[in-house]
Amino acid sequence: MKFRADRTPVPSRRRGQGPSTRKRMMLVVVLLGLASAGLVVRAFDLQVVRKQFYQDQGDARFLREVPIAVSRGTIFDRNGEPLAVSTPVMSIWANPPEVLENDDRIPELAKALGMDPADLKSKLEQRSDREFMYLIRQMRPDRAQAIIDMKIPGVNAQREFRRYYPSGSVTAHILGFTNIDDRGQEGLELAFDDWLAGKPGSKRVIRDRMGHTVEDVEQVREPQPGRDITLSIDRRIQYLAYSALRETIQKFDADSGSIVMLDVHTGEVLAMANLPEFNPNNVRGSTPNDRRNRAMTDVVEPGSTMKAFTLTAALTSGKYTPTSPLIETSPGTWMMGGHPIRDTHNWGTLTPTGVITKSSNVGAAKIAMTLDTDLMYSTYKAFGFGSSTGSGFPGEAAGYLPVGRSWKPIEKSRIAYGYNLNVTPLQLASAYAAIGNGGVLHSPSFVKGQDNPAQQVTTPEIAGELVKMLETVVAPGGTGSPFAAVANYSVAGKTGTSHKANAGGYDAKGYISLFVGMVPASNPRLVTAVVINGPKTRAYYGGVVAGPAFAQVMEGAVRLLDIPPDNVGRWYAGGPSQGGMIGATSMPPPAADDSAAEETVP
Amino acid sequence: MGLFDATQARRRQGPRGHYDMLLMVAAILLVSVGLVMIASSSIAVADGANKGAFYFLKRHTLFISLGFLCAVVAARTELKTLEKHSFLLMLMAVIMLLAVFLPVFGMRINGARRWLNLFVTSFQPVEAVKLILVVYLASYLVRHRDGVEYKLFGVVKPLLVAGMVIVLLLAQPDFGSSALVIAVTVGMIWLAGARMRNLVLLGLPLVPAIAWAAMTEDYRMKRLTSFLDPWAHPYDDGFQLTQALIAIGRGEWLGVGLGSSVQKLFYLPEAHTDFILSVIAEELGLAGVLFIIALFAVLVGRGLMLGLRGVEIGQRFAGYIAFGLSLMIGLQAIVSIGVNLGVLPTKGLTLPLISYGGSSVLLTCVMVGVLLRATFEINRAIDARAMGPRVATDGVSVPLEQGEPA
Repeated sequence: MKFRADRTPVPSRRRGQGPSTRKRMMLVVVLLGLASAGLVVRAFDLQVVRKQFYQDQGDARFLREVPIAVSRGTIFDRNGEPLAVSTPVMSIWANPPEVLENDDRIPELAKALGMDPADLKSKLEQRSDREFMYLIRQMRPDRAQAIIDMKIPGVNAQREFRRYYPSGSVTAHILGFTNIDDRGQEGLELAFDDWLAGKPGSKRVIRDRMGHTVEDVEQVREPQPGRDITLSIDRRIQYLAYSALRETIQKFDADSGSIVMLDVHTGEVLAMANLPEFNPNNVRGSTPNDRRNRAMTDVVEPGSTMKAFTLTAALTSGKYTPTSPLIETSPGTWMMGGHPIRDTHNWGTLTPTGVITKSSNVGAAKIAMTLDTDLMYSTYKAFGFGSSTGSGFPGEAAGYLPVGRSWKPIEKSRIAYGYNLNVTPLQLASAYAAIGNGGVLHSPSFVKGQDNPAQQVTTPEIAGELVKMLETVVAPGGTGSPFAAVANYSVAGKTGTSHKANAGGYDAKGYISLFVGMVPASNPRLVTAVVINGPKTRAYYGGVVAGPAFAQVMEGAVRLLDIPPDNVGRWYAGGPSQGGMIGATSMPPPAADDSAAEETVP
Repeated sequence: MGLFDATQARRRQGPRGHYDMLLMVAAILLVSVGLVMIASSSIAVADGANKGAFYFLKRHTLFISLGFLCAVVAARTELKTLEKHSFLLMLMAVIMLLAVFLPVFGMRINGARRWLNLFVTSFQPVEAVKLILVVYLASYLVRHRDGVEYKLFGVVKPLLVAGMVIVLLLAQPDFGSSALVIAVTVGMIWLAGARMRNLVLLGLPLVPAIAWAAMTEDYRMKRLTSFLDPWAHPYDDGFQLTQALIAIGRGEWLGVGLGSSVQKLFYLPEAHTDFILSVIAEELGLAGVLFIIALFAVLVGRGLMLGLRGVEIGQRFAGYIAFGLSLMIGLQAIVSIGVNLGVLPTKGLTLPLISYGGSSVLLTCVMVGVLLRATFEINRAIDARAMGPRVATDGVSVPLEQGEPA
């Protein structure tokens, strides 16, 4: 280093140079110091004086209130078997702009989701102004985890619960189903939604910009898990009913059908099966038609099963006893207001019991014409026809019973044997349960042990007489024999066959086959109503079509419920297991028919 | 007795220099804080980019280690070696700045040509240019002392060299570094004794040039003005700054705690590079910010003080080097902190010794090494003076200056 300048000093420079550097340095230091002081003041202002504003802005950006998913209550059958359970699942969601930023990973993501890459991309682009979009909902947790492990920016998972129905379509119509947000949509899931759903909690969390929760700050609302519910349904009987119905529908190539079983003493629904059915675990694959709980939402004209209540009115009037007076039904037709009422055969002279046994339309009509209209109407009304059962089931139909005062004679005669009114299968079962229960009608219910409103709708004496009359239906010579017979148990019941109503009146070829009955007749415990809609092959009479299904379900049910037999060693003509079902393959014996073969009034 | 012994020993071995301890400690503390804060601020970003949580920390550690080695070499290299080759270095610097515009060597990232492709890694020439320009200016100012002090032309020449560098930087474009280079150049020339009048005269044509540069590119103008009211467009122009301000505001006195920053979780872009101070402010609070400013103040203050001593005792080259490097580090720190605090327009400037960034870390370490060397040589000259005017070894001339305080 040479310091030529120092060795050849210039006086004028030397005068000012030394102090000048020092002075200039002082100025630089002062300027730097002022700048630093300015920064410190600014930092103090930001971090101490105005911190609240920035903290609020920060909170607005990363504090999020997120729901805490709660599981829906489990639905049990009466024996504690689960019918509907909530299982934890994962939903994959995306932050569209973030995923689009990394669009090279879209094909990979699409493959994992089972989507078309172009499709996925366009969906993301459509929602590129949002920060949240479900990609796929309710995946199995292990599969969701595999997607999360791919670590694609903007793809996240959230925990949810999904409803699972172990019994599948067997209990589908009773339980209904939930939507993707775990809210009840139909059936008991809807009826008891508030009870089952619980209340999702919520918590405040800090989220990073990718949407990952990094810290739980506080719990805002305590999560309340849904409460369980125990139904009156017996899963085993339900399955029996379902399979009996299925067999019957297949055998007779019917359109649809329902079976309802009630506990006579409590009105609890033990089983309720419908066809066609749907898989509640995959609701999407079904049509609304499949999803209807026909036992409650669909109405049918009850046909001859209504005669039991006509006879109740007759016995109540005091004009009739089970055995008197005799009613002339010859020649099997009776002109009423210009229209014939027909029996299947000419039964000649029948006792009131005989009208039930043979299911004589003429007999029932003739009895009705001797009865007070108000008495008939109020009897039907008392048994629950024309009004909702009070079960609380969503979409339950009330049925239709015209007001008594408006009845024309022809209408009155037709109502007597089950036309010009309509009922749900549940109403029918419930009304028969009242007969079996000494005249006490319970509102049917789906919850075990619930104290159902009860009402005395007829005297225990009349109810007892009716049970005996109904027993003759399944005894030799009755319309339900031998199809509805249950080995070792006495059965009281009634067959019914009605023409399907259609737009123009009645369908000459379309039938509804019914059987309603109770077991054991000596002390009824169970009532079952079987309604088969539109049998097309082999037969259509209620006894032939619906009777065997009734017997099959009852046989299993009495065994499962340990109901003691009351008919051991007495007359027994072979239940379904002894070949009663085989009898249905040929045309039924002429003596065992009932019919409502006539056209509607204009 | 001990003093006598020491004096005896010194007489035998010649004058001794020593590195300025305070400056070294400040630099090491800054690097250490930087290392910790890089670890804290980069984990989320690294993990989010699927590079492994410690990707940036590992790389930063690597560059710090390399930088340390280079700093040791620089600190043990006689400044005269640099002085001798200053022109060659300057030539290299200009070539590097030109090379970024070449098709193979240059790399275009985010619309800016700031990187050289060295095939194994990329390199930002501007970081080396900052150091080289200081060395070149120092040597020029020593060689043309009279001219600088009295003649307009003496000031024009270094300004022309700096101007060429600035034009090349603006072409990249790198507005932040350009401003920094202008400030340091003017500062060095002024400290070397140039007349204010001459500087102002020469500075005048620069004003419209800068204004033109700022106006022509739309994004520069936006950047220049958006910092004034970041809340006007918090999700657009003001996004980065609002996120930085939120981070700083969350820090309060003592911070939310090391590692607890929320803003670094993808909210604040460049959290481990240009905006690392915001994370420091959030995690360590006002205390952390004051600590950082204090460390820079010590580093820059010691550098300027010793530079002044050097100039005063005739160690002009070492003195000017100390001025230039202290100003370079100090001004860059002030600008970077100012940007973070929202008082200066957002520029792509790192916080020296702290921010992540390969070239920046490496070259800042070298700068500190050269700065330490300057303190060493100035201290050696002081020591030599204390030994007596006639003792001069190893080619170190120890001239006496009049008016120099005892």
